[in-house]
Amino acid sequence: MPLSVSLSIEGDTTVIELTGELDAKTAPDFHQTIEKAAGHGTSTVEIRMAGVGYMASAGLRSLVFAQQKVANNVTIKVVGAIEPVSRTIRTAGLDRSIVLSDE
Amino acid sequence: MTTVTDMVELARTSAVLEVPATVGALGDIASFVLRLAGRAGLGKGAAYRLRLAVDELATNVVMHGYRGGDGRITVRGRSGPGGVRITIEDAAPAFDPVEGRLPPAPGVPPQDRRIGGLGIHLALTSVDEFSYVYRDGRNISTLTVKAEGTDPCPPRP
Repeated sequence: MPLSVSLSIEGDTTVIELTGELDAKTAPDFHQTIEKAAGHGTSTVEIRMAGVGYMASAGLRSLVFAQQKVANNVTIKVVGAIEPVSRTIRTAGLDRSIVLSDE
Repeated sequence: MTTVTDMVELARTSAVLEVPATVGALGDIASFVLRLAGRAGLGKGAAYRLRLAVDELATNVVMHGYRGGDGRITVRGRSGPGGVRITIEDAAPAFDPVEGRLPPAPGVPPQDRRIGGLGIHLALTSVDEFSYVYRDGRNISTLTVKAEGTDPCPPRP
């Protein structure tokens, strides 16, 4: 099932917007965008996930990859994730290092 | 209204899907599982948990079981008024998901964690029942997700 990924810069924030389903098949697209985002050198990388109806552990792997790619002082935010998606992030303990926000 | 006759009928209509063990087939497995969830009348949350569990276990078979080699995965499903029971079978080397489970380790920095075992942890924490056997050269995982908000004893007509 498809995933659409867009990348933009808003001030000092790099915004990645995801729509669709994030699983083992689609996560590589997200991976590529993360590499580009990390190269922008903004202080925040905001991942908008309100349009993600499903996320498997492959998506978690991408979020961990994002943490590895950006500098230590860069904040990674996941915004608007639906409840089962944020539950998956919390289950992995990634909410300790990634800011989970409703909006 | 559920009756004994309905349950017998549902038991007869078990469904089988056999797919190549590839990442590309995971979407077919998801559609199959969601159809069974719909047939059982699972709530949104339960359907999501069922899909996540089957997806993680099947992904594990594709990525680690057959290690990218040729193989097949057979998914059998049975939906009833109380929930859905799925069996996942493969002929990859024996692997017990319960032993391969990797609970999250909050003390370990994210970059040092193994996410693979975490997928299995997600699967096992998403289901209501899970069992595994290795029989006749096949890994057989059976999982059940119960319907949410289902009255365990529906009134008789």
